[in-house]
Amino acid sequence: MTPRYTELQLDALRELANVASGNAATSLSQMLGREIGLSMPRVLALPLADAVDACGSPDDDITGVVIPLQGDIQGVVVLLISPEGADALCRLLGVEAHTEIGESALREIGNVLGTSCLNALASMTGLDLEPSPPHLTNDMLGAIVSSLALAQTASTDLVLVLDSELEVAGEPCAISFLLLPTDGGVADLLKPLGLAETTAL
Amino acid sequence: MGTVRMGEIEVSAQKGEELVARGLGSCIGLALIDRLSGVAGLAHIVLPESASPSDPDSGVAKFADRAVPELISQMEDAGAVVRRLDAVLAGGARMFEVGEMDIGARNAAAVEAGLARSGVSVRAADTGGNRGRTMRLTVGEFKVKVKEAGGQTTTLFDACTTNSSKGAR
Repeated sequence: MTPRYTELQLDALRELANVASGNAATSLSQMLGREIGLSMPRVLALPLADAVDACGSPDDDITGVVIPLQGDIQGVVVLLISPEGADALCRLLGVEAHTEIGESALREIGNVLGTSCLNALASMTGLDLEPSPPHLTNDMLGAIVSSLALAQTASTDLVLVLDSELEVAGEPCAISFLLLPTDGGVADLLKPLGLAETTAL
Repeated sequence: MGTVRMGEIEVSAQKGEELVARGLGSCIGLALIDRLSGVAGLAHIVLPESASPSDPDSGVAKFADRAVPELISQMEDAGAVVRRLDAVLAGGARMFEVGEMDIGARNAAAVEAGLARSGVSVRAADTGGNRGRTMRLTVGEFKVKVKEAGGQTTTLFDACTTNSSKGAR
């Protein structure tokens, strides 16, 4: 059975994503000493192919920092960073890109953003949420997003993606910040807000 | 140029047309070629088998167990003959150690099993590993090219060279 979401549930998820990515943006700003622009998060409840297309061109080279969630909710947090963005972030942190240290710095950014996002979600929902150590991969956008989504959800008819764009002021650096919960994870996020009922079609 | 997205099938006999499956991770790109009739097809397969029969036709092409027969049947409708088909596979990577199931390997196995059931031989395959791939099939020339993430484009299958080696037999 494929879960569907009501407008009210999608609004609630958007609000959760908004606060979580706001928190993440603040941490990133402190880490880099730069202002961070934050877009209004998009809540995408789409078939998998459309959800991937909404994240960007499937064969674009991209750096993905993947933070698996532990605790009450299953899923992953993903940062998608363009090659220019990865270069800019490394430069701001004073490390060389495309080196072990550069990759470790990007993982650390993932760690900080993931943790602050989860802290925000935890305090809003009362759930126990912890990040696992981040994985870093340089690969094609479609390969990263589709494989992660498939590992999270049994259904390819409807995938839920919470997507915020973070922009580092004065740098050609935009980071896509995605939360991909499992099907059960979505219900667990909504339950503490009193919106747990999903209408199954 | 036709992009074949996840869960889609494209069949063409239009010389020079390019069919592309972009950003294959654990998904499989399955190319079928009938040189004699000039028909070629590409499926972008997502999962090994349909989750439940209660999914009547939501994306027949998504699941290996249904996509393989569906692609073959669409090829036949376009004039191809099953016993002449050459199959080429790419994808099925294990991108992350995150999930415990290796969907990529299961996808590759399910596609190969489906082809074997229909008596179609796999002429070339580039599956497994942990990198994403983009697969391109040119109709008419019947070349299959694969580009791995961060790597060069390589020719995985070239019907012309395969043809000549067959002719020598």
